[in-house]
Amino acid sequence: MLNPYVRKLSTARSIVIIVLLVTNLVVHAQRTPSREYQLKAIFLFNFTQFVDWPPGSFATEQSPLVIGILGENPFGSYLEETVSGEKVNEHSVIVQYYKNADEIKTCHILFINLAETKKGEQVVEALRGRNILTVSDAIDFLKGGGMVRFFTKSDKIKLQVNLEASKAANLVLSSKLLRLADLFDPSKNN
Amino acid sequence: MLVTCISFFAYEFYVFRKTTTEKLSTIGKIISTNSTAALAFDDSENAKEILAALKAEPHIVAAALYNKDGELFSKYSADRRDTNFFPKKPQQDGYRYIRSHIDGFEPILQDERRLGTLYLRSDLGGMYDRFRVFGVVAILVIFLSFILAYLLSMILQKSISKPILTLSETAKVISNQKDYSVRAVKSGNDEVGGLTNAFNNMLEEIEKQNKTLSEFNKNLEQKVSDRTEQLETVNKELESFSYSISHDLRAPLRGVVGFAAILEEDYGNKLDDEGKRIISVIKNNTLKMGRLIDDLLTFSRMSRQDIMRTNIATNKMVRDVIEDLVPGDKKPAIHWDIQNLPDLKGDINAIRQVWVNLISNAVKYSATKKQPQIEIGSFKSNGQTVLYIKDNGVGFDEKYKNKLFQVFQRLHSEQDFEGTGIGLAIIKKIISKHGGHVWAEGEKDKGACFSFSLSDNENI
Repeated sequence: MLNPYVRKLSTARSIVIIVLLVTNLVVHAQRTPSREYQLKAIFLFNFTQFVDWPPGSFATEQSPLVIGILGENPFGSYLEETVSGEKVNEHSVIVQYYKNADEIKTCHILFINLAETKKGEQVVEALRGRNILTVSDAIDFLKGGGMVRFFTKSDKIKLQVNLEASKAANLVLSSKLLRLADLFDPSKNN
Repeated sequence: MLVTCISFFAYEFYVFRKTTTEKLSTIGKIISTNSTAALAFDDSENAKEILAALKAEPHIVAAALYNKDGELFSKYSADRRDTNFFPKKPQQDGYRYIRSHIDGFEPILQDERRLGTLYLRSDLGGMYDRFRVFGVVAILVIFLSFILAYLLSMILQKSISKPILTLSETAKVISNQKDYSVRAVKSGNDEVGGLTNAFNNMLEEIEKQNKTLSEFNKNLEQKVSDRTEQLETVNKELESFSYSISHDLRAPLRGVVGFAAILEEDYGNKLDDEGKRIISVIKNNTLKMGRLIDDLLTFSRMSRQDIMRTNIATNKMVRDVIEDLVPGDKKPAIHWDIQNLPDLKGDINAIRQVWVNLISNAVKYSATKKQPQIEIGSFKSNGQTVLYIKDNGVGFDEKYKNKLFQVFQRLHSEQDFEGTGIGLAIIKKIISKHGGHVWAEGEKDKGACFSFSLSDNENI
């Protein structure tokens, strides 16, 4: 990693260069998400085609469909690129980023990516009754009332769905989607 | 029947292709709708499950899903063995007939977004099954129709063909036996019955006409026989008349001849030259009259007598006649050209008479020439044998050739040539009785040719 030119240049300059490189890497890491999150971004967008929101969810017919990210953004710009220019039932799709639940005004799909899972459960609780599809990677997400969970099995991203939770939010999930997913049975331990 | 079946098959083939394509297309649409989520969420296991549902349609031999990049995502094969003929990339959407299969590509759409392509391959077993069923049905139908047709024909036979056949039989019998009193039996009041009626009516008409004709015929025959009787009577009377005349004329003639002779013998010395000359004239004339009467007698005898046909050796007869008529010392000597003459069938005496008359005429009328020539020969004309005698004598004007054969008609005066004018008439009568013809050709001073032919008909 040591640039051979570093020897020729002064130490100060080399430090600057290293710092720049590292930040570049970090930033780069931020811009290009992993393959896993690329797929998850696509999935998030695909949900828009297999979920029906109740009539009240959109102010007008032209109102946008909002995919929200609560917490850290693992998708980089990929999600935005994926949804860019797309329309679902005349609603254009946009991405919004939230730091906490209070910021959520109009949202249709919410990807919860908080470091502490407990906080995630709190958010779910807070969003109860609203017509938002909650999605997360957290292991006990569905137990806490979440609706869709991503998990990996044999190198494939799979879905686990809490149908009751989605029903409680007045969301209709297409049977085509449901047949792909593992249905969460609250009576059993996940 | 066959034409109907073939056209039916052809139509079915066309329709079947269409329906198969439609069915395949329907299945394709269903599968593709169901597999949208599997494609969207990259769930190849689910996709496989969805495709596996195609097992229900045994004619679909293969199916595959391609994602929107055209990569093979999942596949299905009815027969586990054949897994290598999937197209690498999806082709144009639609269904095509490729050899013995149908290949189809169905777009997979979710809300107008194309998520991928479904590939389906179907075999044509369905069509063959259908045709097999058709074949069986067709054979059954044909078989049944045959039986029906047979039954129908049996029924029709009784009411149509049988009466017609009977009718034609009757017609045959009638025309064979010429019995027009037969009538056809009418069976039933339909068209065939009508035909029978018409037929019978026609027969009645024929019978009626026949009767009329035969009556007419009888009438005619009666008339003819009456006439014939009358004619025969008249003929007989005429003949006996001429016979008795000639016979009765003879008697006084004999008297004249006799007494003229006595006068010449006993009182000749008492007469002067003039007287002797007068007696000579009387004698000549009586002779002539005698000849006339003889000829008349001969003529009437010829008319009365029937001819008896036998074989005549013409060569011998002709030579005998010449021998009789022309003794060797006749001056000037005649040049005879006699060919080989064919035998004839006729009455010996009558034909002899013919030759006598012909030859004596030829001799007489060529005697004036320095070198008389007489040719006797024969030739065939139209299958008939013709005999002729040609001389180079005084001949005659062709204008009068029809008069030649009439009784007592002469074209030359008594002074030039003696004769009664009955010879040719006799010849004509004899030849006519034999059913033949006689004719003459001549030219003044050049000569004449007389020809005759006899009928071959033995019955005359």
